[in-house]
Amino acid sequence: MSEVATVAVGWGVTAVAVASYALWVLLRGRTIGQELDIGGSSSMLSDKDSTTDQ
Amino acid sequence: MDLTPREEVESPEDVRRRIHRKRRWAILALSVLLVVVVAFVTAQGLRNATLFFRNVDEAVAQRSELQERRFRIQGRVIPSTVRNESGITVFEIVHNCAVAEIRHSGDPPELFESPWIPVVLEGKWSEGTVQTLAGSDSHYFFSDRMLVKHTNEYASANEERISEALPDGFLEECAFDDLASQS
Amino acid sequence: MTSAKGRSVKMTATPFTRALGFLALAAVAVMALLGLVVSPPDVVQGEAVRMLYLHVPAIWIAYGSFAVTSVSSLLFLRRGKRREDKGRHYDRLGGAAAEVGVLFTGVTLITGMLWGKVTWGTYWQWDARLTTTVLLFVTYLGYLALRRLPADPVVRGRRAAIMALISFINVPIVHYSVDWWRTLHQKASLSVGRRPEITGEMYWTLLYSAVAVTFVAVWLVTHRYRVIRLEEIRDEEMLTALISQRVSQDLPPVSDGDFDE
Repeated sequence: MSEVATVAVGWGVTAVAVASYALWVLLRGRTIGQELDIGGSSSMLSDKDSTTDQ
Repeated sequence: MDLTPREEVESPEDVRRRIHRKRRWAILALSVLLVVVVAFVTAQGLRNATLFFRNVDEAVAQRSELQERRFRIQGRVIPSTVRNESGITVFEIVHNCAVAEIRHSGDPPELFESPWIPVVLEGKWSEGTVQTLAGSDSHYFFSDRMLVKHTNEYASANEERISEALPDGFLEECAFDDLASQS
Repeated sequence: MTSAKGRSVKMTATPFTRALGFLALAAVAVMALLGLVVSPPDVVQGEAVRMLYLHVPAIWIAYGSFAVTSVSSLLFLRRGKRREDKGRHYDRLGGAAAEVGVLFTGVTLITGMLWGKVTWGTYWQWDARLTTTVLLFVTYLGYLALRRLPADPVVRGRRAAIMALISFINVPIVHYSVDWWRTLHQKASLSVGRRPEITGEMYWTLLYSAVAVTFVAVWLVTHRYRVIRLEEIRDEEMLTALISQRVSQDLPPVSDGDFDE
């Protein structure tokens, strides 16, 4: 592999790795937030609460 | 609502365990794998890392005990000595004024072209009279693996600095100073 | 991606971290410009020297992250009993920082292997620096695995904190391995009290890159911290909901299948 190609692969792999991790963190936060009904959408927990807490 | 646990109701701890049982096995397996990897890496490290290479002067001094053993030798390539003899790259390396002739089979890495580049070679001493810059020698080093040991010096290719790769005074004390520097 | 980001803002972002995120993105863009275009090729290595601006800041950030993990582990162990939440925010910070540290250790290893191929002529050599670095990566992976082993949160936090402190011993070993042993790897690029053997433009690009990557790392750790907090709240609420559900309705015991994530 040439020097330029190596540099391109190195920077590319790093960018993809860090961006993927950042996106994973954001999406995971969003998913759990929705489950917990923080974001305003319905969640299984709120349904459960309505049927069980009496 | 009465939350006092009854007999048939599992405690929070039991529920938690139940939920995580499958995951626990997966993670235990992963931990075992990690321990194996750590052990392997440590063993590799102990075998190779402590004496990664011998400098030319040490390798020459230990010649009788090294005999035919395979080891790594380190030194700077003397630019004026590099030549190709029917597919074998022949050159001399120097460290602490000790010189060794290297006969390397295989393609050298790209950076080998740089003057005075430090290299690490894997191979063994072979008997045979050769002439080096430091005089006559009874052995040469036969190598089949070359690694370029680049330094932590960085300089812009646009700047015109002289003898960038050779540290000041590197050959000053050596008898063959003039010969080597002629390149 | 925009929509995902937009909505998730409600979950784990604040105006501060959003600003930090944009700052980090801008800083990385400038870093790429400096590292890939503006800075000169090296006299020996040519274009390959551009790996320097990723490889070296990545391991600095990893060292820094692991240092944060160690300090918060220590605080978690020392103050654990006195505080109301038993110091779990330290546990969270330690976990978040270690994850980012592992990410950047991985980046260091990958960029190092590629760089090694074009300069040394090999992807890998078991020399002291490379061996200790891979050990660092593996031990902190073990730390992250330990954090996922189910247990009482405080017990788990203590176990993890002890493991974090043990793992940190390796950080100075990695750093000084090039001085303590003979290695194929070159000596430290910059160290205190030694004139840098690196020309001006490259030196400043390297320092700038370290700052840019730090912004990225701080953003990542902050968000990961918040997500860990959310995970904890979810786990607690799930448990409470489960128990109350079964107590009130007298349902049979829950099977594993009910809780696939």
